[in-house]
Amino acid sequence: MTVQELYEKIGGDFNAAKKILPSDALVARFVVKLLKDGSIQKLRDGVAAGDSKAIFEGAHALKGVTANLGLTTLSDLAAEIADEYRPGRERTLSDDELGAKIDELNAKFDSTSEEIERFQAQ
Amino acid sequence: MPVPDGEKAKRRVIVIDDQEINRELLGMILEDDYDVLYAENGEVGLHFIRENINTLSLVLLDLVMPVMDGFTVLETMRADPSLHRIPIVVLTAEKSAELKSLKLGAADFITKPFDAPEVIRARVARIIELSEGRSLIRAAERDELTGLFNEHFFYEYCQRLERYNPNWEMDAVVVDIRRFNLVNEVHGREFGNKVLQQLAASIKRNIEHEGGIACRLEADTFFLFCRKRESYEELFETLSEDVNREVDNAHVRLRMGVCILGGREVAPERRFARAKLACNRLRGKYSKGINIYDQEFHDKEMHYESFLNDFQRALEEKQFLVFYQPKYNIEGDKPVLTSAEALVRWRHPECGMVSPGEFIPLFESNGLIQLVDYYVWRESAAQIRRWREELGITIPVSINLSRVDMYDPELENKLLDLLRENDLKPEELLLEITESAYTDDARTIIEVVESLRNHGFKIEMDDFGSGYSSLNMLSTLPIDVLKMDMKFIQNVREGSKNFRMIELVLDIAEYLGVPVVAEGVETENQVRLLKNAGCSIIQGYYFSKPVDAKTFEKFLLEKKEVLK
Repeated sequence: MTVQELYEKIGGDFNAAKKILPSDALVARFVVKLLKDGSIQKLRDGVAAGDSKAIFEGAHALKGVTANLGLTTLSDLAAEIADEYRPGRERTLSDDELGAKIDELNAKFDSTSEEIERFQAQ
Repeated sequence: MPVPDGEKAKRRVIVIDDQEINRELLGMILEDDYDVLYAENGEVGLHFIRENINTLSLVLLDLVMPVMDGFTVLETMRADPSLHRIPIVVLTAEKSAELKSLKLGAADFITKPFDAPEVIRARVARIIELSEGRSLIRAAERDELTGLFNEHFFYEYCQRLERYNPNWEMDAVVVDIRRFNLVNEVHGREFGNKVLQQLAASIKRNIEHEGGIACRLEADTFFLFCRKRESYEELFETLSEDVNREVDNAHVRLRMGVCILGGREVAPERRFARAKLACNRLRGKYSKGINIYDQEFHDKEMHYESFLNDFQRALEEKQFLVFYQPKYNIEGDKPVLTSAEALVRWRHPECGMVSPGEFIPLFESNGLIQLVDYYVWRESAAQIRRWREELGITIPVSINLSRVDMYDPELENKLLDLLRENDLKPEELLLEITESAYTDDARTIIEVVESLRNHGFKIEMDDFGSGYSSLNMLSTLPIDVLKMDMKFIQNVREGSKNFRMIELVLDIAEYLGVPVVAEGVETENQVRLLKNAGCSIIQGYYFSKPVDAKTFEKFLLEKKEVLK
């Protein structure tokens, strides 16, 4: 599996990634770093503890990292969640809708991670 | 000429971002061109920034971070003047954060997702270039220690101030600290800097609210361009009190020169030069803190100025005249002429006879006195010889050595040449050195004097009692005669305090084993008192005012008569 094929599988924007990371090898080198990135764990811990500040910080960090890697689906989801929890801003989604978003993000992150692990293992 | 890349030191930048991936991405983009430091939150970042305060060229700052966020870093850096130099580029995905960051002083933004590496590199390079240009300007415009302007930009701002405020009347004020070098010497430079900073702060407090501006010229000299006030006493007192209150044990004394003359038709540089002149004239005058450059001061200066212009011609045309005042020994029944003191007069073609009090301090202040002195020495030495040749009598003459002469490496040779040219013995050309010269730089003076004495010269300490010699120093001084000026000892009556003063000087002289010459003696009563107190030699109007060489001949002839 080439790194480009990986991006197709996980719904990433390979061209966006290539804009920042000028070679395929660099994209490959950086995308696997997502597995060690702590922001998803922070978000999950925040959800478990009902700590909206932690949720915001986790989502916000994840948004930035995934955006830089061209992982647009993940990045968009993280952005929506971060916006909801941004300090001082009114919520626009109901708890249920938000819960669904977080679930969707979790699922997307896990499936993306699996694909990256598979890519890394080859 | 472009600097080859290999020789160009890499600028140091710091990336502060809690996400490792972001740090590594920026590192990958910047590491070829920059020395990159990394921090995972604001607190660590600030620590690194302070550690690299002088070498850091740029901060790349994420906003949302644990422990300490980017806004706090921005605020902290902008509140700390020592960090103002370092530009901050904010890393953000939020449009909404941009305005807030800008208000807090961010120089630029890098949006997430990041732009192409070339774009980021170009941005970083541009911001560094801009900030270096700006900090160059700031460094040139502001004094680093006090934050006041420096001289160059200051005059420019003075002119602007007057241009934009046509109704304001401004005065140029110079403030400095008396003997500031001693403050540094005694307490160390750091202490001295603290004094300067507090003085600068007080100056700001007292003149900026009314629109005044200030600069530090150099060391302890401050220029204040402030609104004209009735009196400068209050400002002077406030500044003095502030700096002595804010710095423990400062004990500093200020001087202030104010130019109230001129107004905007005179360039600020000139007005400050005048204020500085007025300030400098306070040197040594400890009872007076403020000196005003007004019309009267100005006229006097112009007068001095014309004296200076006339100086060269005066030397060439022999307008300087040497007068001689006799000294008499009063130990016996009849006073006996012992020697004379050579004193300079200036017969100015327009001003007539100019008193030495008018031109000597002026020529002392610019070193020209050395030329006058040498002229007098030469005339005196030649006169001693002429009298000897014409009248067959040799009378020693005292000549005055100014402070600046003592530092002339050729002093000894000049004097020895005069002896040789006129076939004189060293004890025939007496050397008067004022006591205050000794106290200024005792070691140098003593060395010079000792060397002169080794050649056989006799040294008379002039104006004894007006300087501040310690008794301890006196006992080690190489001198042959003490001169005491009665001018300073008015209304002498037997048993009075002033009389005891004379006795004290005589006691000191006796202890040192040297004779005392009392000069400025005018009355018979003074002569009697001095004689009773044991003073042996007298000079003054009582015997004769200083007279020209021709007139002086009669004293010589009298002496010749006595000797017969």
